[in-house]
Amino acid sequence: MKKEEIFEDLIRAIVDLDEEKGKRAAIRLIEGKINPIEGVEKGLSNGMRIIGEKFNRSEVYLPEMIMAADIFNSVMEILKPHISAESLDKVKRGTVVIGTVKGDIHAIGKNIVAMLLETAGFAVYNLGEDVATSTFIEEARKVKADIIGLSSLLTTTMPAQKDVIDILKETGERDKYTILIGGAPTSQDWADEIGADGYGETAESAVSLALKLVAKKKRA
Amino acid sequence: MVSFIEIIDRALKGPFCSEKDFDLKVFVPRLREVVKKYKIKYDPENPIPSDNDLADRVFKAGVEFYTNVGTYCVDTERIIKFTEAEIEEALVTAPSAPVFGEGKEAKALVGRKPESDTPPWCFIGAGGAAVSNEELFVSILEAYASFLPLADSITTPSIKAINGKTVRAGSPLEILACIRSSVLSREALRRGGRPGLPIMNSIATAVSDTAKIAGSQFGLRPSDGWLIGTIAEMKISFERLNEIAYVLALGGHVVAETAPILGGYCGGPEGVAVANVAYHLNCILTMKGSTQLTFPIHFNHGCTTTRDVLWSVSASSQAISRNSHFPFFILSYTAAGPMTEMCLYELATAVTTSVVSGASIEFGGVTKATVVDHFTPMEPRLASEVAHGVVGMSRLRGNEIVKRLLAKYEEDIPRAPKGKKYEECWDIQSKEPKLEYLELYQKIKQELAEYGIRFKL
Repeated sequence: MKKEEIFEDLIRAIVDLDEEKGKRAAIRLIEGKINPIEGVEKGLSNGMRIIGEKFNRSEVYLPEMIMAADIFNSVMEILKPHISAESLDKVKRGTVVIGTVKGDIHAIGKNIVAMLLETAGFAVYNLGEDVATSTFIEEARKVKADIIGLSSLLTTTMPAQKDVIDILKETGERDKYTILIGGAPTSQDWADEIGADGYGETAESAVSLALKLVAKKKRA
Repeated sequence: MVSFIEIIDRALKGPFCSEKDFDLKVFVPRLREVVKKYKIKYDPENPIPSDNDLADRVFKAGVEFYTNVGTYCVDTERIIKFTEAEIEEALVTAPSAPVFGEGKEAKALVGRKPESDTPPWCFIGAGGAAVSNEELFVSILEAYASFLPLADSITTPSIKAINGKTVRAGSPLEILACIRSSVLSREALRRGGRPGLPIMNSIATAVSDTAKIAGSQFGLRPSDGWLIGTIAEMKISFERLNEIAYVLALGGHVVAETAPILGGYCGGPEGVAVANVAYHLNCILTMKGSTQLTFPIHFNHGCTTTRDVLWSVSASSQAISRNSHFPFFILSYTAAGPMTEMCLYELATAVTTSVVSGASIEFGGVTKATVVDHFTPMEPRLASEVAHGVVGMSRLRGNEIVKRLLAKYEEDIPRAPKGKKYEECWDIQSKEPKLEYLELYQKIKQELAEYGIRFKL
């Protein structure tokens, strides 16, 4: 089987949500001694990009995104032993720690952003909801995050976004992380006021912003 | 009906399930099964369908779905489940005419039917949007009482700051702001000449159960409505059940709030319509509501005025109103803000869709209820006028009007104008709208009348 056909199978596995097809293609890729990084970039990542675009056009929804991400991860388990840690780092766009701030239990919008970030190639650590300020910071340190994403859906929980930034300033770690905020009542004005690096009005714009800011940081 | 004590018992002893498994292995596949089984299909050409059979299939799908799925308690990680017989019994014994309000404002809230001659209940005001300070809070509430003659009940704003301090959820400031909210709401409605008007979103400023209960001690009445929400999708917390325990002991009304998200775990418009019916049952059984307040909402745009959300609203409202006497409201959120043509078109679209489909209205969330001070008495006023202007209208005619209105704003939803602030639209001293807004209001109203809306004021 030509390698292009294997890449196409990897794409289809993600887009058609066919886990078995993905696993079979990954095994053929290894057996054919094809560079697994090529399989990730030209197959799996392309599939994730396509399903992300379908999501933005409301052709698929959150459940499909979750299933696609699960298939991506399960195929990666087959490929990973054949990829060096250095190469794995190269294909990763960056690492994101994301959650809904203290006092706020809204989940779905933040989960959608987390999924889209994953489909865009980020390693995402979704901390859930009602997340303590210290948990964001400890987790970001632990996984060496590039980005901390802070979601708030209530005007009365927005101050908790500022808390994370203020504490990072106090501990001298502010410049280590790109901080993005989001959630219905937040805005660019609020991001500017509290010293965040960016604000995503929609899930799609949050991902574009994350890609742009991480690329900028890597160039710096 | 299954008692509230039994609900708590089921929350403590029901089937154990992780939250992720509930989302992905219970909620999502069961919803897809019934959408397929009952052949429910979104029709973008007709945001208001005129198909009784579709409405009844959506209802049956919702009942079957809720029987299979139940409500998830996030604190115990257990599922509160009901038998089909319990659901059938609940539909028979659910409240049918709860009375809200005091004195001459006291009135029974009754269910409607599609194309019904029964006027919708107009639960209007701010939709919980944030106001920057107490002074504006009082000004707005007073204007609601004096400027909204068709209001049957009021939806108040939340207060962003008290004594110049930003209110923070979970802190004593939240409790103080909730107390302030109750006291000032009552006083403002008295000043506006309608002290008996019920407040049905008590208390918009509250996030915690403690703050809601504490705030309610300072002026709320059992004839008001305690707005108590579920977590999307089909989940409830002990905090909300705590509030229900309090309200039931008080003899008050639970206004059970639900919000299926289009694009989330419900998937597309078909799943949202079915989930909305299931939420109706959740509001009767699990939440012991006097009424359901629901707002299917678009995940990306944060408003309820997109074509697909409108279809979900219409299909589920028809399903519910044809098969249940338990009264319900559709709450609407516009993408655009005050003093814009788009906002007025959006609200007319949303209200027409809800009313001809058998719902009462809550209006509403202007500028998605996300921008501080971006709402005025003018939007709920037009919403109530439209609501009464389409009473008795056929779904077919409503569909034609809605399609014409959608053509005017649909493309602009992603870049909707934020409009102007309350003080730029409303003269606080004279308690009247500014001339610019009044002229825009009259222009749009005339256009809507030409489309067939029969204004009575």
